[in-house]
Amino acid sequence: MRFSFKLLLWTVILLAMALGFSGFYLVNYVFETSLNREIGQALDENSILGFALETAALNVPAKYDVLQDNTVEEIASNLERGGQSGSRLLRISDEAKKILYVSEGFPSDEALLQRITAGTKTYRVILQEETYYVQTGVSIDFLDRILYLETMKEVTEVFQERMMGFSLYRKVTVFILAVGTGIMYFIASWLTKPIRLLTRATKRMAEGEYSYRAKKLSSDELGQLTVDFNDMAAVLEENIGRLEEEIEAREEFMAAFAHELKTPLTAIIGYADILRSHRLDGEKSLMCANYIYTEGKRLETMSFRLLDIMVAGHKKVQLRQLPAEAFFSYLENVFSKQSEIKFTIQYENGIVWAEESLIKTVLVNLVDNACKASEPGNRIELIGERQKDGYRFVVRDYGIGISEEEQKKIIKPFYMVDKSRSRSRNGAGLGLALCTGILELHQTKLEIESVPGEGSCFGFFLPDLEKEERDEE
Amino acid sequence: MIKILIVDDEKPICDLIDLNLSAAGYRCISVQDGLIAIDKIEAEIFDLILLDIMLPGADGYDVMEYVRPLGIPVIFITAKHEVRDRVKGLKLGADDYLVKPFDVVELVARVEAVLRRYNKADQLMSVGDVVVDVEARRVTKAGYPIDLTNKEFGLLLLFIRNKNVALFRETLYEKVWEGEYYGDSRTLDLHVQRLRRKLGWEHCLVAVYKVGYRLEV
Repeated sequence: MRFSFKLLLWTVILLAMALGFSGFYLVNYVFETSLNREIGQALDENSILGFALETAALNVPAKYDVLQDNTVEEIASNLERGGQSGSRLLRISDEAKKILYVSEGFPSDEALLQRITAGTKTYRVILQEETYYVQTGVSIDFLDRILYLETMKEVTEVFQERMMGFSLYRKVTVFILAVGTGIMYFIASWLTKPIRLLTRATKRMAEGEYSYRAKKLSSDELGQLTVDFNDMAAVLEENIGRLEEEIEAREEFMAAFAHELKTPLTAIIGYADILRSHRLDGEKSLMCANYIYTEGKRLETMSFRLLDIMVAGHKKVQLRQLPAEAFFSYLENVFSKQSEIKFTIQYENGIVWAEESLIKTVLVNLVDNACKASEPGNRIELIGERQKDGYRFVVRDYGIGISEEEQKKIIKPFYMVDKSRSRSRNGAGLGLALCTGILELHQTKLEIESVPGEGSCFGFFLPDLEKEERDEE
Repeated sequence: MIKILIVDDEKPICDLIDLNLSAAGYRCISVQDGLIAIDKIEAEIFDLILLDIMLPGADGYDVMEYVRPLGIPVIFITAKHEVRDRVKGLKLGADDYLVKPFDVVELVARVEAVLRRYNKADQLMSVGDVVVDVEARRVTKAGYPIDLTNKEFGLLLLFIRNKNVALFRETLYEKVWEGEYYGDSRTLDLHVQRLRRKLGWEHCLVAVYKVGYRLEV
């Protein structure tokens, strides 16, 4: 059952019970008050009648000092007729509770008569032929006789009023319940609206629409829940987005990898097939063998680079303090054999926070790229600058340069600006991908500036960790 | 002579295709750049173009757009093997598709098939006094018709297309029987022997030790 429906149902049940009890109590209270008033009047009337009987009896010339039964009868019949509205109903009995006079229509039941004792007034409410009466009884003690006078007073009206009260109240109750239910329905659905919105949001998210957010309607607990839910959804969306990006990058990498793998494989398989199937002359077979060799080498380079990237990806770097000199002397050593290109090395002494072998790999790759981009006779500058909170390495060449569009792509694995040129120098298109990976481990990134035709500048900044480390201690 | 233009950014692949097609009797010219390829097409008349998709200069699709109005048959050669890429190439009007790494025998067969479709290849192939009409599936030796079974005909086509090439047993088996070769089947030897006898090729269809057979002309 829906929550709003439960809320509605219980409210309506409570309302109905409250209305029922209070209505019953109210109508009954009014009824009892009026009935008591009627009973009082009946008793008063009874007393007055008693006095009247007494007075009439005293005024009757008596033969004896004793009141005769027939005299009583006479007086009674006079009294019966003397009522203001038609006739009175009365019954007079003697000491032995033997009936002396009874009006026509007076109930024959003597239960009340038996209860009457000297000096007390007594009454009861009876129903006779769909008419309610108050039957009152009193004992009259005069002229040595004790007579019991009973009178009847009609009180049907009071009972009818009660019935009308009840029926009216029932109508009012039904009306209030109907209106109340309607109002309560709106209140309940208004109160539970945030829950419905949240439910819809969870469903949408379950269907994969992670950007959907629930609308906040109020600032109560449900509003807070909506805010918390949306926060959670935002975190989820971010994580899923990141995962999707990662998967996409991986798929892209796999596609590029497969492509890069297929070309050398085609060549190796094809040439090997020619060698085994054809009778070739010496020159041609040499060419085939050479192609198999170079393409095999290419695969080897690629596999090593891939291994480097994978190792760099899993390695936990331990940064150490190293003198900047170490890197530049290493580079000088590695590239000193290059006679076609002039190197200018210019660096400031200082401490570098780095993982030595990884940063050397980055530098070698950058210089290697610079060589590939340069024409023989070009100059390559290696610059090291000590800055306030770190050390900056810059490799600048005056080669072919990279267009802005390609600058975004070059860090992707297997991307080569000039394929044939890169291939001829044994490039696999993985160098910069490796560099970005390593620099990420050092919490920094590769900065690229380049103008086509004028040259490129690759730089990165290694921040000092001293301060942070001291903080940790 | 049939002239074929090979466009692939990888020199080794160009040379590989060149070597094989030259051996099959075609004249080949290879270029490694899309724009140069278009220049070549403008300057010379080619019977067939083998086109890579990832090219410097202009990519294979661009070159294709240029070639289409000329009505030169094109076979795409690429490492992209996804259906989407293949359909794109074929929709642009390519005649066939070859995915790297490809089999040399397959390359030659496809080139021939496309050329035949354009009526550029000879309907009749001949070795000595044996003449084969591929379309009509008719074989004659010195003018007399010779009956060959399906498998024998398939073998004959392979040998004629790859003259002087040692064809490996597994290659023969895979191409003719279209099944995996398990290395112990005598079926192939039996068929080759029957083919030899029917065509009188006892001396030119030679067994190559530990390899397979070669048709020597």
